[in-house]
Amino acid sequence: MSRIKDLQKNLFGGTTSNARQFGMIFTLVAIVLLFQIWTDGLTLTSGNLIAVVSQYSYILILAIGMLMVIVAGHIDLSVGSVAAFTGIVVAKAMQEFSLPWPVGILLGLAVGALIGAWQGFWVAYVGVPAFIVTLAGMLLFRGGNQYIGNADTVPVSEGFRTIGAGFLPEVGPNTGYNNLTLLLGLAACAGVIWRELKARQTRREMNADVAPMWISVLRMAVMVGVIVFATLRFAGGRVGTSLPISGIILIVLVLAYSHYTRNTIGGRHIYAVGGNSRAAELSGVKLRRVNFLVMMNMSVLAALAGMIFVARSSASGPQDGLSWELDAIAAVFIGGAAVSGGLGTISGSIVGGLVMALLNNGLQLEGVGSDLVQIIKGLVLLLAVAFDVYNKSQGRFSIIGSLMRPFRRDDPPPPTDRPSPSSDADKAPVAG
Amino acid sequence: MRKYLTRSVALIGAAALLTLGACATEREGAPAADTGAGAAPAKGFAADALIGVALPSKTSENWVLAGDLFTNGLKEAGFTSDVQYAGASTTVADQQAQISAMVTKGAKVIVIGATDAAQLTTQVKQAKEAGATVIAYDRLITNTPDVDYYIAFDNFKVGQLQGQALLDGMKAEKPEGPWTVELFSGSPDDNNSGVFFNGAMDVLQPLIDKGDVVVGSGQTDIKQTAIQGWKAENAQQRMDSLLTSTYNGDKKLDGVLSPNDTLARAIITSVKGAGKDIPVVTGQDSEVESVKSIMAGEQYSTINKDTRKLVAETINMVKSLQAGNEPTINDKDSYDNGQKVVPAYLLPPVIVTKDNAAESYANDPKLAPLTQG
Repeated sequence: MSRIKDLQKNLFGGTTSNARQFGMIFTLVAIVLLFQIWTDGLTLTSGNLIAVVSQYSYILILAIGMLMVIVAGHIDLSVGSVAAFTGIVVAKAMQEFSLPWPVGILLGLAVGALIGAWQGFWVAYVGVPAFIVTLAGMLLFRGGNQYIGNADTVPVSEGFRTIGAGFLPEVGPNTGYNNLTLLLGLAACAGVIWRELKARQTRREMNADVAPMWISVLRMAVMVGVIVFATLRFAGGRVGTSLPISGIILIVLVLAYSHYTRNTIGGRHIYAVGGNSRAAELSGVKLRRVNFLVMMNMSVLAALAGMIFVARSSASGPQDGLSWELDAIAAVFIGGAAVSGGLGTISGSIVGGLVMALLNNGLQLEGVGSDLVQIIKGLVLLLAVAFDVYNKSQGRFSIIGSLMRPFRRDDPPPPTDRPSPSSDADKAPVAG
Repeated sequence: MRKYLTRSVALIGAAALLTLGACATEREGAPAADTGAGAAPAKGFAADALIGVALPSKTSENWVLAGDLFTNGLKEAGFTSDVQYAGASTTVADQQAQISAMVTKGAKVIVIGATDAAQLTTQVKQAKEAGATVIAYDRLITNTPDVDYYIAFDNFKVGQLQGQALLDGMKAEKPEGPWTVELFSGSPDDNNSGVFFNGAMDVLQPLIDKGDVVVGSGQTDIKQTAIQGWKAENAQQRMDSLLTSTYNGDKKLDGVLSPNDTLARAIITSVKGAGKDIPVVTGQDSEVESVKSIMAGEQYSTINKDTRKLVAETINMVKSLQAGNEPTINDKDSYDNGQKVVPAYLLPPVIVTKDNAAESYANDPKLAPLTQG
């Protein structure tokens, strides 16, 4: 009995239920398996995985920023237009003033920061709702893209393409794999094990409940297994391919922002503001600054995503960024964020984004037309959020809990009287 | 419970082993062939191989028709086909993902009607490296050395036919020159605009030099004649101002060179608005409204680019690739995409006037009824 409870309690790192996130990890695995079988094993081939990562990395990067915006209780509709605007500015600048490409990237990030400051100013200091500010931004920067680019397609240099279409170089002995990707995988495995052991030690020092050793080992084994599998796949693609550069940028951003939102004061302030802005302000959170930074950060990430897309497409065109905002917002909500703000995690959003990406990819591999793909994606989004709303009205429960219920009649039924949603501790996201 | 535990551990172990076992690297064989030094032609492939067709979004009837024709035609030829349209709101990204998926599925030939011809470099390279042959359909894919063939209607010829039709039409009205004309060309950001215009000038320029054809306003440079965005309203504006500036008295306008049907109808509207006689106006695309206008005796001519023929020729190309032969090419040096000169197969367009409309559209279920009576 206790082992199952331990498992349930500890395997995914949390005690509070986080049903959507568990649900989504299972959905992700199920989708992968479904398409793996349906496409006769094409889904998990190296070539396809590499293509998926480079195709969707920019959406996932947007999802990181969007998660923080949504957690703070706002929304950003302008990301696609901001990305397109930055893309055309950078492409034009590099073409006309023959800037070296690293300068182009810095210019792009600066443009993103400026746009972000503009939108942040209206949201945080003037108090116009973010929905309106970014709706205006959507029109403003889409128009700007067409004005500057003359609705034309502007090519970018070979060097610039690295960030969107580049791969790690082949170095060292011929192992039959991309050596640098193998090294990255090794580092990731070491990181996972170190983090697990460190967490155990911390808990012990704080005299907290330490999960049984076998749980830790199991958890490490699962994570290491996944990493090893992914590493071999990404390293084993055609010669000259590896984990895409855009994928590496994405991973770095995910790690950095996960740490920021979970473990730093600034990051927790975002949750506090989204949960109950009044209470947060009274307890000393600088409301305006948090809102300003969240909006600004979103535009910087949108600029980066725009540049990655331009790099991958090798040119900036008038159709860049169309409806990206919707993809990013969908990823965040599928990944378990609450529409009312204050809830959600970076990793959840990434899982949500991956669900959409693999669904898209799998359906395309099957040759399903883009009309049906859109219909299916729409339904998935609706069902994912409906599931969440239903859970809330029923009192929270965890998927694992409901699966296990038949086996533990001795347990009390799940509590139906939820504490009020503004309690911050209750909202704290837990999964890793 | 212990049993449960052992079982789950065994399961995870087995799963891990399976995953590792399945991890055969895809790096077997020699590294991808040098793409630089003239890629060797494919040595043929299976007769039921997968052929991918990536088309722009379903917003124009023409593309929908092309898609259906590809699906049926490839099936009849014995191939497995995968015909995809880009989504209406996310065209470029969709098309990129669709081409990648076709490469993953091992398509031997990928036919691409590009949504944005300059934004497919990465995907085309990927296709090439995976050994697929890339055919640019109707729109030349630019900025990449990895396009193998280009198939389209001969746009220079379209221009020549328009120029000739303009002359023929004016001769029918008034056997002796000099004739007064005005020139229009397409959007300056569209590659094809210049090709159409140069084709037409190929016919008209000698007569202009001789003085048989007079451009009333003197505007013969393509920068002056261009209509931004192929927009009807811009053409109408330009025609309005030409009429006020040049034809305000009883000076007669005999003909107008118009690159397509939309602009032709705008020009006619403008002339009618000014209360003048409708001159000879050329066109292109066989749009329904223009075919009606031709039958009513207003617009003089249009061009028929039969999608059925273009698709049929593309499928022929795929067939010869399948057999390991070099497909038929009739233009080896006109289509430079910025990185290489793409070998092209060009189909001849057909000029349509009131006289041959019934015959030209006999096979077209939508246009044929319009030409009756």
